[in-house]
Amino acid sequence: MNNNHIIGVFDDEDALMEAVHEVKQKGFVIGEIYTPYPIHEVIEAMGKKTRFTFAAFLYGLFGALGILAFMYYTAVIDWPVNYGGKPTNAFPSFIVVAVVITILTVTILSLFTFSARAKIYPGKAYILPDARSTDDKFVMIFDKSLSVNNSGDLEGVLKGKGAVEVYEKELKPQK
Amino acid sequence: MYKAEVRGPLILGDKNYRQISSDIIAPIDQPTPNWWKAVFGLSLLMAGFGVFAMYKTVAEGIGTWGVNNSVAWGWEIINFVWWIGIGHAGTAFSIFLLILRQKWRTSINRAAEAMTVFAVAAAAIFPALHMGRVWLAFYIFPYPNTRGPLWVNFNSPLFWDFIAISAYLLISASFWYFGMVPDFATIRDKAKSKVKKAVYGFFAFGWTGSSREWLRYEALSYVLGGIAAVLVVSVHSIVSTDFAVSVIPGWHTTVFPPYFVVGAIFSGFAMVMTLMIVIRKMYKFQDYVTDSHLNAIAKILIFISLIMGTAYATEIFIAWYSGSQYEMFTFFKNRITGDYTFQFWAMVVCNAFIPQLFWFKKVRQNLTFAFIISLFINLGMWYERFNIIVTSLSKDYLPSSWVTYHPTWVEVGTYIGTMGIFLIGVLLFFRFIPMIAISEVKGVLKPTSLNKNVQKPVSHE
Repeated sequence: MNNNHIIGVFDDEDALMEAVHEVKQKGFVIGEIYTPYPIHEVIEAMGKKTRFTFAAFLYGLFGALGILAFMYYTAVIDWPVNYGGKPTNAFPSFIVVAVVITILTVTILSLFTFSARAKIYPGKAYILPDARSTDDKFVMIFDKSLSVNNSGDLEGVLKGKGAVEVYEKELKPQK
Repeated sequence: MYKAEVRGPLILGDKNYRQISSDIIAPIDQPTPNWWKAVFGLSLLMAGFGVFAMYKTVAEGIGTWGVNNSVAWGWEIINFVWWIGIGHAGTAFSIFLLILRQKWRTSINRAAEAMTVFAVAAAAIFPALHMGRVWLAFYIFPYPNTRGPLWVNFNSPLFWDFIAISAYLLISASFWYFGMVPDFATIRDKAKSKVKKAVYGFFAFGWTGSSREWLRYEALSYVLGGIAAVLVVSVHSIVSTDFAVSVIPGWHTTVFPPYFVVGAIFSGFAMVMTLMIVIRKMYKFQDYVTDSHLNAIAKILIFISLIMGTAYATEIFIAWYSGSQYEMFTFFKNRITGDYTFQFWAMVVCNAFIPQLFWFKKVRQNLTFAFIISLFINLGMWYERFNIIVTSLSKDYLPSSWVTYHPTWVEVGTYIGTMGIFLIGVLLFFRFIPMIAISEVKGVLKPTSLNKNVQKPVSHE
């Protein structure tokens, strides 16, 4: 399959955003946008949403219930020890460990979720259309097969909105 | 909202994005400076001495320390609490200031987090050694074992402490690392040598900066920031319960958790100031770590110093107000006067009085003064822990058990060793990791710029 893409390179986030709105209005499908730092308008324009916070809440719930159940099992059921006549189900002193382990569970599971959902892991073969986008350029890519009929028009729109370069490239994963 | 007209620009020198990347990566690309090699050599010596002292402890036992039946906790716990306190700066900086949307954190948070990780790692050495048989340290994990299974005591603050410190180390290290991933990608894509590209490429985890990645990255940083903010308060509160739940005069007080937390943030911020002045001077980062950054830290230090002074006064007042003769004795006969007078007054002067010099603008702006004051604060915080631990233990309820405590060279050596380990970590960080969060600084460049030629920025919050 042909993996040719049209790549628009911008110098500035304002120019990029204007171009994003323009191409969307003209009905082009943006493949992806690469920026050196997070820009919320870009994320919104790409129509991307995440249920990350909800997942984190579930992890927290799992962590809290899990550790409380574990402490109850060990301290009350499996091996109750009499510490100066105190109740074996010493709930108030379980709270400290429960809070910390909940935070730890949320952190670790969130990191794994991030790694899985954003596809960020060691040794990943990644596709980076223009290596300057991690430095100072804002890069927008379009799948050529989706915009083949009016690609000349696309180049014009991007240039008109301040793209410093527009070129075609076959994207290959690199290690 | 950050108004550059009111507060001044955050990044000086009319930088563009490319300059920011090059400036911050420069120390990694340039050859290792001579001062770095010299300090690194010294740190290796210090760490080596420490390892020898630790070997002595493990091979011959705790008897090589100056602790005794009365003062069962000595330098090891003092230094443990001291390092953990310093380790509070990272989370306090990145997470509290992230939640409060303080944009000036972006130039400092990376270094503060690095310091946190190394300080907490240094701290963790002490309780492990203090167990006596360090090879049995795994007994503290609640795991199914052949001894019953006999589980750990979940009511014990010492166990809470173990959980708190290990969780804190793991969480701050991962928060630090994931913040660096986009910057590693920047280094990867700018690298000229193949080896460097491969190494940083590996650590960048295939980061490209696509909207798909940034969306999750931002979500992750807010989730971790929100949840780890609790840790800033909880870790040192738990450390303080090691003391506060016992019935030793001078320890058994409810003011301990907030008092410890504030003290920890105090020493952490002081250490950040020490470190930022060094980074700024040695790597010429004046445009990123500006006078106004250091000014802001100095103002926070004045405020915390006032809280510390209030806490000391509260403790003394409560000792009198409680009517307990043991509390009275500890505070008035064994701290304010008595054998440990010097340590008590060193604590008060270094923590409550000297930082008040920051009220003067001239002192805040003079980096030499600021550097010296930040060192005094860390000295004062060390004396605070000495005061709490040694004075209370040395003279408790039974006068026949009263003793004085002097550390041996093994204890001093272990402390010097942890300083060496901390310095090695910090120096490697200087050399191989971007000291300032590149992508975060780029994100705040425009909204905090005075440059009228730049178009109105789109928001980043």
